[in-house]
Amino acid sequence: MTQKGLRFYLRIYGKILAQDLKSKMSYRADFIISTIGMICTNIAGFISFWILFSRFPSINGWGYYEILFLYGFSLVSLTPVQCFFDNNWSLRQYVYSGDFIKYCFRPINLFFYFQSEVFDVKGLGQLAFGLGTLIYAWVKLGLGFSVLMILKMIVFLLTASLIMIALQNAAAATCFWIQNSFYVLDLVMRFKDYAKYPITIFNSVFRFIFTFVIPIAFIAYYPSLVILRPDAVPVLSWISPVIGLVFFWLSYRFWMFGALKYSGTGS
Amino acid sequence: MSAIIEIKHVTKEFKVLNRREGLKGSIRDLFSRDYKTVRAVDDISMSIEQGEIVGYLGPNGAGKSTTIKMMTGVLEPTSGEILVGGNVPYRNRTKNAQEIGVVFGQRTQLWWALPLIESFRILKDIYQISDADYDEMLKLYQSLVDIEPLLHKPVRQMSLGQRTLSDILAAFLHNPKIVFLDEPTIGLDVSMKAKIRTLIHALNQQKHTTVILTTHDMGDVDALCQRIVIIDKGKMLYDNDISHLKQFFGSYRTLKIRIKGDLKQYAEEITEKLPRCSVSADDEWISVLVDESQTTVMQVLSELQKDYKIRDMQLEEISTEEVIKKIYEEGVK
Repeated sequence: MTQKGLRFYLRIYGKILAQDLKSKMSYRADFIISTIGMICTNIAGFISFWILFSRFPSINGWGYYEILFLYGFSLVSLTPVQCFFDNNWSLRQYVYSGDFIKYCFRPINLFFYFQSEVFDVKGLGQLAFGLGTLIYAWVKLGLGFSVLMILKMIVFLLTASLIMIALQNAAAATCFWIQNSFYVLDLVMRFKDYAKYPITIFNSVFRFIFTFVIPIAFIAYYPSLVILRPDAVPVLSWISPVIGLVFFWLSYRFWMFGALKYSGTGS
Repeated sequence: MSAIIEIKHVTKEFKVLNRREGLKGSIRDLFSRDYKTVRAVDDISMSIEQGEIVGYLGPNGAGKSTTIKMMTGVLEPTSGEILVGGNVPYRNRTKNAQEIGVVFGQRTQLWWALPLIESFRILKDIYQISDADYDEMLKLYQSLVDIEPLLHKPVRQMSLGQRTLSDILAAFLHNPKIVFLDEPTIGLDVSMKAKIRTLIHALNQQKHTTVILTTHDMGDVDALCQRIVIIDKGKMLYDNDISHLKQFFGSYRTLKIRIKGDLKQYAEEITEKLPRCSVSADDEWISVLVDESQTTVMQVLSELQKDYKIRDMQLEEISTEEVIKKIYEEGVK
């Protein structure tokens, strides 16, 4: 048997994705309603954000458009976790019912196989919304465009996505040990809301927690400093791509460790 | 011919928390490290040849699933050796997965939203099946079952029978050396059961696939298995041909009689009169299982005739079902 490389997995993913989209489109009402729902959620989030800033024009030296930039940045960086890793939300049900065992019999990577099963289209609406916000803020801030900046932007968006994915993986994988893991997952996912704000508005305890324990500050704040405050970029910003990779790898190992010790319920 | 599955002195133990009763007990459990060890599988050895269909039987909780999980690489044995197609399943899980197919009765492994043919195409990629082999397999399927109506139907819209059929076809698709079928006919109607048995038999014949079948339905065993392995409480009770098993209990015959009146009540009375026979009743017949090494059918019959007016009678050789039931209850003597 040949070693299964990236191309092998991309091919399979492409196939599953194409089929999955096809079948989702066939449930048209479901598709339209969930898309409308997603748009409403984003608009509501945006309105509460706008109300807040119409009262306080700046927070801790951060202006309206800078915060808007953070907001858009976090929306875009949340897209991959929403689109590609949404099956993590169902993991606990599969584990609890014993159905998870069905993933254990295929000659491919268990983590890949599990995540490939679900692609959430709703994430694309969020991506469009986030990109719109980001570009609008970018123009208003007069940041200018250069190839280097776009490259930086892509690298740091990927970094932020990796950290978000890592957080979700780790939170979801707790279900291999505890039964009510929904609360862990829900709690961690709620923290992501704080990712939209500059970390300097929190006190030092929370700043420490959001940097080193639940590293949501890496989702938008540290990466976007590279673009927004290029004169005073902290070391944490520059090393955030490495931190992203490390966290993702750790969460993957943790997830796999749980999955491999899983023995299923009796049948 | 060498063995495709080789199991030597395999034991699997689980640590289970000793649970206490009541709310107070649960709170104490939170801090307790008081584990007891449960032996789900206890020193099992067997050797299975390529192409065999083996019925793996045992009452619920006997350790069947645990053994299968060890053979498929999901669980690691506590001690002992397992070789499946030359691989140690737990250590080479993905390599082992390439060589086996698995069907769990009520849990489909197909993509819920996809039509069967699309699932097949993805499986073709996952198992790296060549175009020629894939086409040949589909042709074989077409000759064995009426597969056309299934191919373009999403799995979620299928009936349980169609889904099981599809799962079995998917498990054989990459022409694995071994297929594990865990209660494949559970919950199916009679004609679907027959269809599935025929399919399994045909695939075994055509592809020389080894099949390990766990079931509670003796119809499956009678239709498919030459050899059965029985375990209970983790221990192996029996491993041999079915015909041999019947010889074991050859001295048993079932006498069925019909009496007018409440059969259940009569059955209780007869149980008291004939302590050495096991007596049961259904809507029409009272069945008396007679051990002919102890007494004869004729003796039992004349005994019964003294007290009851027997309207009709039948004599049956012991069925596989009853043999298995006796083994579950009493073990092999």
